[in-house]
Amino acid sequence: METTRPVVVKRIPERLNLRQARAFCREIEPILISDRPQIVFDCSQVKQIDAAGVEMLLRCLAQVIKHDGDVKLAALSPEMAVILDMTRTERLFEIYDSSSDAVLSFSRFLPSALKQPAMFIKPAVPSGTDPGPESSEAASEPGEDATAEAAA
Amino acid sequence: MLAAGARATSPPVFPEPEGAHEQQAAEVAAVHGAANQAGRRSLQIARARFVRAYEVHTVDVRAIILVGGLGDSTAHENESFAGSLLATYDVLGKPAVVRVIERLKAQSINAISVISESPMAGSAKLPVAWTDAPAAQFWRIAENTFSDIAQAGAEAVLVIRMGGYSEFDVDDFLQRHLDGRAHVTRAVDPNGAPLEMFVINASRRNDAAYLFRHRLQQTRSLCGQWVSRGYHNPLAAARDLRALAVDGLLQRAQLKPAGMERRPGVWVARGARLDRRARVLAPAFIGAAARLHATAVVTRCGVVERHAEVDTGTVIEDATVLPYTYIGAGLDIAHAVAGGKKLLHLPRNVEVEIADPKLMDVRSQHAPLRALESAASLAAFLPVQIFRGLLATSQRKQPAELPVAVKTPSAIKTPAEVEASSEASSFANFAVARRYGDH
Repeated sequence: METTRPVVVKRIPERLNLRQARAFCREIEPILISDRPQIVFDCSQVKQIDAAGVEMLLRCLAQVIKHDGDVKLAALSPEMAVILDMTRTERLFEIYDSSSDAVLSFSRFLPSALKQPAMFIKPAVPSGTDPGPESSEAASEPGEDATAEAAA
Repeated sequence: MLAAGARATSPPVFPEPEGAHEQQAAEVAAVHGAANQAGRRSLQIARARFVRAYEVHTVDVRAIILVGGLGDSTAHENESFAGSLLATYDVLGKPAVVRVIERLKAQSINAISVISESPMAGSAKLPVAWTDAPAAQFWRIAENTFSDIAQAGAEAVLVIRMGGYSEFDVDDFLQRHLDGRAHVTRAVDPNGAPLEMFVINASRRNDAAYLFRHRLQQTRSLCGQWVSRGYHNPLAAARDLRALAVDGLLQRAQLKPAGMERRPGVWVARGARLDRRARVLAPAFIGAAARLHATAVVTRCGVVERHAEVDTGTVIEDATVLPYTYIGAGLDIAHAVAGGKKLLHLPRNVEVEIADPKLMDVRSQHAPLRALESAASLAAFLPVQIFRGLLATSQRKQPAELPVAVKTPSAIKTPAEVEASSEASSFANFAVARRYGDH
């Protein structure tokens, strides 16, 4: 089933500290309180994000859910991915590789476009280094989670 | 000053003329027998067929450990993390350079000079000559130190650059150097890759100068080689620091955690403060004066080095928290090295600078300053709470009218109304069940 409601793609600024987060929040306030908002945050340019930035994202999500909408994240920069991972917030959002994938996901089911958390990626081991048994264990465990997530 | 030198066996001292074997054998046997009688004076070994006499004597060996020396390298693997050289960071309670010094001392090399590009806290207390050298002067100072050591009477100088952490047999290395009669002998790994460890004859100052001027990359003349078969970690990037800690915890390397093994695989150093509700799952290491708050979890080779602090509810999984680092509450530090306001995420290979002190902060290395910080935060706590209490409005708003569903009494509280007809039908069913039952 295709939806005709618009999807808003918003690019998050390079630095997302308390001041920037407040300004950003003010900017998107009208979209958040609209009926069933569909929002994609493009995070490709984020270089620095702190606790206030993460809190802003969560506040946006809470606000949007109240209005029966959804917020999705796209094109996470490595810095932002690490911070979301560290603050345990990445599991709350749907994350896509690109904004277009995220936009399309509102109208159709795109399981393969969902970005896998980086923990599942096998680390790049320098040549001649033994990755050790624990790394293989780490790679196998999350695989099960990924399957479960896809099945869900 | 004479070093309590490493013992090495020199090449054959006595000539072996043709036809003199039996006579020499008899002489050696006589000396050997006499020595046995006198006890502890046997210096020569006689063999059945071929008589070869060896003399064991003491060689004055001293060591120079170079920490750094890459200069202003901007390469990704520049042997540093968060502004300090990896060799000076604690690994399971002790810096890698201190571990190398201890290994050398255990192998009878007591005269050790350390030249470091990066200053290290507590280096003054170490029983070595420690010199902090600026990057521009680093190799010049190394050259001068070699000359001083040679003038002081050393016969051979062991030069190690850290760089990498190696566990090797010094005696074997020296023996190879003496047997090979080379001016310079270089250590290589079993694959033939060169390591930055050398033994240089102290008299060959020009060879040493050439080596230092070429940053240990070239030798003046053809050098000997010795294959090191011990554990080696290149310590080129923070990833290697983490690998070294894991290897220590899993006993792949000989380095032992500097603490007491409270439970199998759980090492806790002196002065560590663990909340009763904190969980530490083996293998793990908690450094001296480190602090784990309530419900913090350290697991899967988690390492919290000295004076680090992990706040409430944070999970340290397969990660290292470097000394004097504060990790905020409710975080998930997994597969990472965290320290000095930087976090290296290993699977992503991304180094992130975290400026928010709520997430990560650096504690002062000076105890009085740390005490002052604690006192200031304690003093500020009460006024801040009062201020918040005065300004904050009540967040809990009672709804004007409760929903109908809430007002409806629970079904459990209402007495069951059993209709007579339904009762009768249930008994009828029961009777049927009894009729066709086994009993």
